[in-house]
Amino acid sequence: MSKRVVNHPPVDPNAPVYWRSLEERADDPQFKSWLEREFPQGSSEMAVSEVSRRSFVRLMGASAALAGLSMSACRREEKALVPFTQGVEWSIPGKSLYFTAAMPTRRGALPVLVETHDGRPTKIEGNPMHPSSKGGTDLFAQASLLDLYDPDRARGFLKHGQTATESEFVAWLKETLSHAGSGEKMAVLAERNYSPSRLRLRKEIEAKFPNLLWAEYEPLSRADYRAVSDAVFGEGVRYFPEISKADVILAIDSDFLGTDEGSVAMSREFANRRNPEPGGTMNRLYVAENRYTITGGMADHRVRVRASEAGAFAREVALEIASLTRDANLKSIAEAYPAAPVKVPEGWVRECAKDLFAHKGSALVLTTYRQSAATQALVVAINAALGGLGKTLVGRASKQPGSRSIEALGAAMEHGKVETLFILGGNPAYNAPADVLWVTRQAKVKQVVRFGYHADETTTLGCLWHVPAAHYLEAWGDNRAADGSYVLSQPMILPLFGGWSELDLLSQIARDARPQGPALVQETFKEELKKVSGGGEFEVLWPKSLHDGFLNGTAAATVPLTFDAAKAKAIAATAKPVTSKWEVVFAADYSVDDGRYANNAWVQEMPDPVTKVTWDNAALISPRSLAEWNQESGHNLATGDTIRVSTKAGMIEIPLMVAPGHADNSITIALGYGRAFEGGVCYRQQTPTYFGSGFSTWTTVGTNVYPLRGGTELYVAGAEISKWENPDGRKYQFAITQEHGALEGRGPDIFREATVAQYRGHEVDLYAPHHSVDAETPKKNGKLHLPSLYTHPPLDNVNQWGMAVDLNRCTGCSVCMVACQSENNIPIVGKEQVIAGREMHWIRTDRYFVSHPNNREETKEKKFSLTAVEDTDNPRMVYQPMMCQHCEKAPCETVCPVNATVHSDDGLNVMAYNRCIGTRYCANNCPFKVRRFNFFDFNMRPRGDIRDPKGHTFYTWNAVSDSSMADTLKLSKNPDVTVRMRGVMEKCTFCVQRIQEAKIAAKVHAKDSANVKVPTDSFKVACQQACPTEAIVFGDINDAESRLGKLLKSERGYRLLEYLNIAARVKYLARISNPNPKMPGAEIWEVHHAATGAEKAIEHATATKPEGGNA
Amino acid sequence: MNCHTQVQSQNPKLQPVRESWKSGKPMQWVQIHKTPDYVYFNHAVHVNRGVSCVSCHGDVTEMDVVYHHQEQSMGWCLECHRAPEKHLRPLEHVFDLKWKPTPNVGETVEQAQIRIGLELKNKRGIHAPDSNCAGCHR
Repeated sequence: MSKRVVNHPPVDPNAPVYWRSLEERADDPQFKSWLEREFPQGSSEMAVSEVSRRSFVRLMGASAALAGLSMSACRREEKALVPFTQGVEWSIPGKSLYFTAAMPTRRGALPVLVETHDGRPTKIEGNPMHPSSKGGTDLFAQASLLDLYDPDRARGFLKHGQTATESEFVAWLKETLSHAGSGEKMAVLAERNYSPSRLRLRKEIEAKFPNLLWAEYEPLSRADYRAVSDAVFGEGVRYFPEISKADVILAIDSDFLGTDEGSVAMSREFANRRNPEPGGTMNRLYVAENRYTITGGMADHRVRVRASEAGAFAREVALEIASLTRDANLKSIAEAYPAAPVKVPEGWVRECAKDLFAHKGSALVLTTYRQSAATQALVVAINAALGGLGKTLVGRASKQPGSRSIEALGAAMEHGKVETLFILGGNPAYNAPADVLWVTRQAKVKQVVRFGYHADETTTLGCLWHVPAAHYLEAWGDNRAADGSYVLSQPMILPLFGGWSELDLLSQIARDARPQGPALVQETFKEELKKVSGGGEFEVLWPKSLHDGFLNGTAAATVPLTFDAAKAKAIAATAKPVTSKWEVVFAADYSVDDGRYANNAWVQEMPDPVTKVTWDNAALISPRSLAEWNQESGHNLATGDTIRVSTKAGMIEIPLMVAPGHADNSITIALGYGRAFEGGVCYRQQTPTYFGSGFSTWTTVGTNVYPLRGGTELYVAGAEISKWENPDGRKYQFAITQEHGALEGRGPDIFREATVAQYRGHEVDLYAPHHSVDAETPKKNGKLHLPSLYTHPPLDNVNQWGMAVDLNRCTGCSVCMVACQSENNIPIVGKEQVIAGREMHWIRTDRYFVSHPNNREETKEKKFSLTAVEDTDNPRMVYQPMMCQHCEKAPCETVCPVNATVHSDDGLNVMAYNRCIGTRYCANNCPFKVRRFNFFDFNMRPRGDIRDPKGHTFYTWNAVSDSSMADTLKLSKNPDVTVRMRGVMEKCTFCVQRIQEAKIAAKVHAKDSANVKVPTDSFKVACQQACPTEAIVFGDINDAESRLGKLLKSERGYRLLEYLNIAARVKYLARISNPNPKMPGAEIWEVHHAATGAEKAIEHATATKPEGGNA
Repeated sequence: MNCHTQVQSQNPKLQPVRESWKSGKPMQWVQIHKTPDYVYFNHAVHVNRGVSCVSCHGDVTEMDVVYHHQEQSMGWCLECHRAPEKHLRPLEHVFDLKWKPTPNVGETVEQAQIRIGLELKNKRGIHAPDSNCAGCHR
């Protein structure tokens, strides 16, 4: 028999080009070698400094011999079962128990549902009962589980850095407060928090010490937003965008689907209004931003605008809208806003404004806290002119009292007005504005009490006391969700290290006693109860609210917005546009936010959705700017070279990274890295180069950017950059995953899209033959002919599992990756191992940049090169979650020599880890590169990179060193999933543990009857559960009534690499854009396709081919 | 303590249990049946579908000291999963360790079990339940 030769589809010269990196775009030889290897060079070999294979075998022989000696008997070890004498409330051994809680954030709390096993939390999910978040979470909530078990947490009270006891602290506090008088020498620095109980205690403290200085600081401050809201809508009124009512959205420097406040709810609302199916509402998104954000990736039209010119851009929009609406208020406000030049393609603002105007009443213009008060006021004015008030922009009352700023506190400290300072959370030594001079000023305060989760930079700055903070899953608490509803939090594990909650400390200050259990929260609850219409019995509603996680009926009611144009004009006039060659933008990081999650390995290893960098931040620069700068200065800088960035406040050295789609003459650097705290994750050991031997050094993860910030501004217009020589002369190595899953340039087939007009015009085949892919499917007599050599057992189970991924809803936020990691005990591998391509994520979000032939100057003669910048200026960006496709005719199964990967009768491609001998043939034969190999005992190593107590080189531990896992981390593992060992292949299992649980439940319920079918949509898999936009849907492909069954009917559905006849169980739904045909750049959507009628017929046949079926 | 506050409340053999209850110090039960950590076994699904305790653990009421009655290897598990009729019984008799099927005239007990087992297998729609790897290994 001759080998079947698969003809991959020819590349259509007119098709858009999907590329993962500039190297791929340029067809760089190094990229080629990535492609051709199953794993990158070196990842399947041991490194030079490791024990060689031969010596490894010798050592193994010796240890095996020793093991033999110690094997005194062949009887199996006698073990004891030690049950609880008194069982944990409601706990049944082996069964999970769910509790509600609320994760506090500066944006208000996120309601969550926590899975616990034997009294230890193991997984955090969104609370599906809560009306605003509806079960969605962000990745910080997912990852906060790992924070609970962080071995680097502060382990008890510290006095002058030495271990002390709780009672010593309580006695000291009592003594100190008794001399505090009216608190004139006392100050508190707190984080933003909306807990009503905390607010009550704060009021009690302020009543007891009326002269106390209460300051609040958040590095990502929304103070300007609050000021604007107070001024233009009246004291205490806050405005919120109502994405669910917006048809046309213009986001000016606003990442409302990503790092901005309330993005979980907004993402869902946005996706719900983006329904391309006939009859669905399809919104349109315009984005103006300086760097690619995931919001920019969802845009129908995107323009690059420097952050410092966003105000001028908003002014242009305002003037256009004013002339269309003839709104005199808006005109005068826009004219009051100082004019400044901004470079935008001709016609962009005009057409965008016309579109907004055409959707008056359902148009929305957004900007964020990153922009000045003047810009925010101007944007509010645009919304007012567009008739959005009360529709797309709604008001809610806020009763949060104001606080002093960190600047005011700093000044008081400078003048010796503060003798006792309580720092509640936060980390001012790391992230305070540079102009506050925190480090020198904290030294002037006589006694500092630090309440913190880690004994970090601020604690080690000479604090008198460190009070260990409890995790939110360890303490009673309450809070307000984004919609203002009252949410409760309950302890589900005792504090692991004796931590106090913030309420404990405040209560100790206010009442000289810690609250007894839930007593304090219950007091607040009773007050909240009075506000609920009709009230209710405490005895009934307390347990109900604890069960539900929130008190129903407490969501803040909307209030009418009355716009004060005169005040808005006054604020708009305060804008100070600065023109300069370079600007620096400080971005909230997708992984570590403002740095608070820096010691969390899950978020550190999650690739940044846009840059795909793990374990690092970088100075992002546009290809064009770098090319021009290189030309001017005669440098030859590229990604990995270090530059010096300086502002008035300070300077830093940071490696450079070229970012397609970035605005020119603008540098973006993510905040939150470069922590000096010696945590096992955020402070790591590095080897100079991957292949190099020699001594490793200790370093921070990424670079600290806070020194560049004088105040709380989030961009600096006047910045200088210069080349900086690395002392060791080497290029900096980033751990970038973007090329790791590259699929032989099959992008056009893998990712399919069309416009809504093309799709609804029933040109359904547009997105397929355009890529000339399905035409390659083998056929005989005009019919599909799909023979297969692969076999599998009959797929005869009542349930047949499958998945659909709606590319139109996926924003690329990557929370699925962390949810999967948490659910499936996926180890993290550390930066060096990511560079080697050994990351373990079972699901990844592939990011592609897309350049269209129309805006590409490339021809056959003129090949794209890395130095050319034509189509890297503003390519589109799309996302595709990629996990095991559970092919019915799985190529991986046939090549396994030990039958470790086989098919189940319900359609899963399963892995039996104990059978796997690690040949890795399966990964070689997988066309999707979704199988991950556990090269070392990743689960058994400490988080982050290894701290080797004896050795000096990084790799000595791999072969023979002791392996161990921190005790607390053992508690975090999901007991329903095997913790895999070294040398085993692993991959997405479709959360087989949840499937089994559902099947068992169905069978237990069936008893004597034959009705063992798992009820429709009775469970969700981890990635599906976490997805804020419900882009991932799992279910039974034969159940037409299920969520999945309905999605599978969509004409947008396609399966990957159909022509290979692997019959994937995952179906993707093509992404549909909604471009405005009048906009400049819309012509890229004019599709060139040369599909013949016959091919179309085949297309149709492919599209309607039934699911499932045997080979 | 549950039942043993009433039943056999003075039995000296239960003295360690009473002491543990008083002191709060857990009992150290010797583990006889052990599932390896890469195997996921669920009692509920077996007991609720008519597999008796006795099929896997033997008649514990007759044991002076509990011992390993069945080999409980993977092959042994699969043997039953491939022919569940050998063990299926009416749900009300699952916890009755002494229960034996009543043979018809001219039938042995074993034959009676197969007959009843097949009937129940059809009634409950049990056909070769999950004999793929993922049933136990995940």
